[in-house]
Amino acid sequence: MALSRNPTLFPIRPNWLKNNLPLLPLHATPKEPLVSTKVLDIQDVTVSFDGFKALNNLNFTMDEGELRVIIGPNGAGKTTFLDVITGKVKPTEGAAYFKGQDLRRYKEHQIARLGIGRKFQTPRVYLNLSPRENLELSCNREKNVFSTLFKTTPPAEKRTVGGLLETIGLDHKADIPAALLSHGEKQWLEIGMLVAQSPDLLLVDEPVAGLTDEETEQTGNLLLSLAESHSIVVIEHDMEFVRQIARQVTVLHQGTVLCEGTMDQVQNDPRVIEVYLGKETSLTPEQMLLLRIAATMAWADDNFAPIQQEVILDRLSRKFAHAPEEQASLRDDLKNLLAKEIPLEELVPQLSTPAQREDALMLSYEVISSNEINHTEAVVYQQLLNLLNLPPETVSRLEAAALDELARWR
Amino acid sequence: MATSTAVQPRRAVKASQKRKLMIEAIAVLAVVLLLLFVIPALLTGFRINLLGRFLALAIVALGIDLIWGFTGLLSLGHGIFFALGGYAFAMYLELNTLGEGELPEFFGLYGVTELPWFWQPFHSFPFTLVAIWLIPAIVAGLLGYLVFRNRIRGVYFSILTQAALVVFFNFFNGQQKLINGTNGLKTSTSIFMGQQVGGPEMRTFFYGATVLFLVLAYVLCRWLTSGRFGRMLIAIRDDENRVRFTGYDPTAFKVLVFAVSGAIAGIAGALYTVQSGIVSPQFMDIAFSIEMVIWVAVGGRATLVGAILGAVLVNMARSLLSEKFPDVWLFFQGALFLIVVTALPDGIIGWGRRQFGATVSSALGLAPAHIPYADGTEPEPDSLPDPPQLAEK
Repeated sequence: MALSRNPTLFPIRPNWLKNNLPLLPLHATPKEPLVSTKVLDIQDVTVSFDGFKALNNLNFTMDEGELRVIIGPNGAGKTTFLDVITGKVKPTEGAAYFKGQDLRRYKEHQIARLGIGRKFQTPRVYLNLSPRENLELSCNREKNVFSTLFKTTPPAEKRTVGGLLETIGLDHKADIPAALLSHGEKQWLEIGMLVAQSPDLLLVDEPVAGLTDEETEQTGNLLLSLAESHSIVVIEHDMEFVRQIARQVTVLHQGTVLCEGTMDQVQNDPRVIEVYLGKETSLTPEQMLLLRIAATMAWADDNFAPIQQEVILDRLSRKFAHAPEEQASLRDDLKNLLAKEIPLEELVPQLSTPAQREDALMLSYEVISSNEINHTEAVVYQQLLNLLNLPPETVSRLEAAALDELARWR
Repeated sequence: MATSTAVQPRRAVKASQKRKLMIEAIAVLAVVLLLLFVIPALLTGFRINLLGRFLALAIVALGIDLIWGFTGLLSLGHGIFFALGGYAFAMYLELNTLGEGELPEFFGLYGVTELPWFWQPFHSFPFTLVAIWLIPAIVAGLLGYLVFRNRIRGVYFSILTQAALVVFFNFFNGQQKLINGTNGLKTSTSIFMGQQVGGPEMRTFFYGATVLFLVLAYVLCRWLTSGRFGRMLIAIRDDENRVRFTGYDPTAFKVLVFAVSGAIAGIAGALYTVQSGIVSPQFMDIAFSIEMVIWVAVGGRATLVGAILGAVLVNMARSLLSEKFPDVWLFFQGALFLIVVTALPDGIIGWGRRQFGATVSSALGLAPAHIPYADGTEPEPDSLPDPPQLAEK
C-alpha cells in the first residue's frame, strides 16, 4: 500500500536560497502537469556494445513536471540511459521521444537546444572561466558561431545570471576562476549552468557524490525547488539522499526496469534487495520491513554499533544461511540499503497484522539491548512503543523473550 | 536589494577593465613607434631585415597561440598555411617581373611552354592580396572540418596535421613543372611596385608592413579571445563535451578559429618570403612547424604577448648563437624546450605574471589579479557554518 507522502516534509530551503525569485523568467509560471504529454518516452530501447547489452528492451515514461529518481547497482545501465536521451549514444534498437520528438534524429547540441540539460557525474565546469562566465555561456540563447562572435550578452541574460549566482550561493565568488571553488560549489555551479540553459528536462547524474552531509541536504533542497518548474531525472546511489528527494523511484537492473514505485514500495521489494545484494532471497516484503525498523532503531544514536549489526545480520543470515565472508559483504550492502533516519512514523503504519508488530518490537528491543541502552535509543524506543500501541503486558512479555533470545545467541 | 550587492563589485571590475584596455592600447602604440622609428635608427640594414623576419614569424606564432593556447588544439602543420601564403605572393612577384608573353625562367628548364592554369589569376595584384590569406584559410577550414566533424582530438589531431604537412611538403617538392619543386621561388630579384624586392627601399617597406600586420593580427586575436567568443574557445579547451551538452556545436567554432589561424599564418608566410628572398618546400619542413609551437610555449601559452615575445626572442637567440657557435644551436633549442616544459610551464609571461603581477597591477592602479592558492589547497566554502561554534551553542 502506497503511503501518500506529506509535502510539508520538504519545506526547508537552504539559507542561501533566500530570494524567492523564480529561477528563470521563462519558467515564471509553473507548468500544468499534462497527463497526455509524456516529457520522456523510451520505447523498447536496446543499446549493445559489441554484443554486450548495456540497455535491454528498456521501457520508461515520465510525465511533465515529475521528479524521478533512478537507482540500481553498478553496471545497471544508468549512465547509458542518460547517454541515449542526450544523444551521446544512439539506440541499437527502439526509440526515444522527448515531448513527441524522436531523439535519434538529433545530435547532442541539437538535443540540448530542444530543452534537455545534463549534469555529469563529476562536476564539469569550465575551470579557467569564472562562475559568472560559465553561467553566461550556458544562458546564451543564440548559440551559433556568428552571434556568439558579434553580439554581446544582453542585459536580460546578465540579470538572469545574477539571480542564478545568488540562488546557487556563489554571488560572492562570481568573478574568480571556477578552478578555485570547492567540490560542492562546483556541483552547484554545474546545476546552475543547467538551469541557465532553461531546459524543460534536467538529467542529473549523482549530484551528491563526494559532498558533506550538509552540502548533500542543500543540494537536495535545491533539486526540490527546481522540481517546481522542471521535469527532473536524478540518478543516485546515496539511499538517504534518494529518500530526501524521491517521490517516484525507478530501479534499473541489467539494462531493464526492474520495478517502479514510491521509495517505500521499492525498498520493501524483495527483488530490489536481491539485485543489490546479488543473492537470492526468501525474504517477504513484510520481513524486509521488520528489518528496516530494526535498522532504524540501531541507527537511532547515529552509531550503528557492530554488535547491533551482528544481531541484524544474524537474523538475516538465518534467512540467507551463507558463508561468513558473504555475510561481511552483505553487511556493507545492508548498511547502505537500510538507510538511517527513516522516520518511524512512515514505517510502522505499514505493519498490517498484530503479529508483525510484535515481531518488530521484539527485534528492535533485541537490537538496542545488544549494547547498553543509551538515552537517545531509549527515546526512540519509547516512540516506537507509542506507534505500535501494544498492551503493556505484551510488551513486557516480548522484551523478556528478546533478552532470552539475545542471551542464547551470545 | 538582491542586485545592488552583486552589481557593486562588478562596476569596479568594469572600470578596472577599461583602465587595463587603455594601458594596453598605449603600450601597443609605444611598441609600434619604437619598432618603426627608434630601432631602424639604431640597427644596420641587415639587422633590421632580420628583425622584420622575426616579426613575421611572430605573426604566425599569434595564429598558433589562438588555436593551441586558447582552444587547446596543438597543430603541427602550420607550415602548410605559412608556405601557401608565401607561394601566393612569390607567384605574383614572378609574373609581375616578366614582360608581355614571357614565362618564369625555371619553366624553360622543364620544357613547360604554357603558364599552368592556376598561375593565371596571380597576374592580378588584388587577387594576390586576397589569395595570401584566403587560400590558407580555405585549406585550414576544409582540413579542420574533416578532422573536427569526426571528433578527432588531442594527440590524434596533432598527428593528422603533421601528416598533412608531409603530404603538402612532398607534393610541392615533387612538382618541378608546376612550382619549381625543391628549388622554390626566388623573390629577391623580382620587381614589386617598380622596385627590386631585395633592395633597401623595399626592405624598409616590408619591415614597416610587417609591423603593421603584426599589430593588426594582434588586435584581431585580442578581439577574438576577449568577449563571449574568447570564453567559448577556453570552454572548448576546458571541456568540449560540456560545451556540446550546453547546446553549442564545437565543430563550427573550431573550424572557424582554425581557418583564422591559417589565414594569419598565410600573411606571415608572405611577409617572411619577401624578406628572406625565397619560398621553398623547406617552409613545410616538419622541424620548422614544431619550432613555431616552441616559440609559443617559451613565451607563454594563451598570452598573445607571450607568443610574439617567444618568437622574437628564440629567433634572436638562434641567430646570435649560430653566428658565434654554428653547431650549438640545435642543442640549445632542445635544452630550451626542456627548461620550458619542466621549469616554466606557463612560459616567460606566465612566470613574470606570477613573480611581478601583483606589484605591476597595483603600481598601475588596477584591481589585483586573483592569485591562485599556491599550495594547491582548495578554499573552504564559507557558506558552511563553523562546526566548533555550533558545538559551543
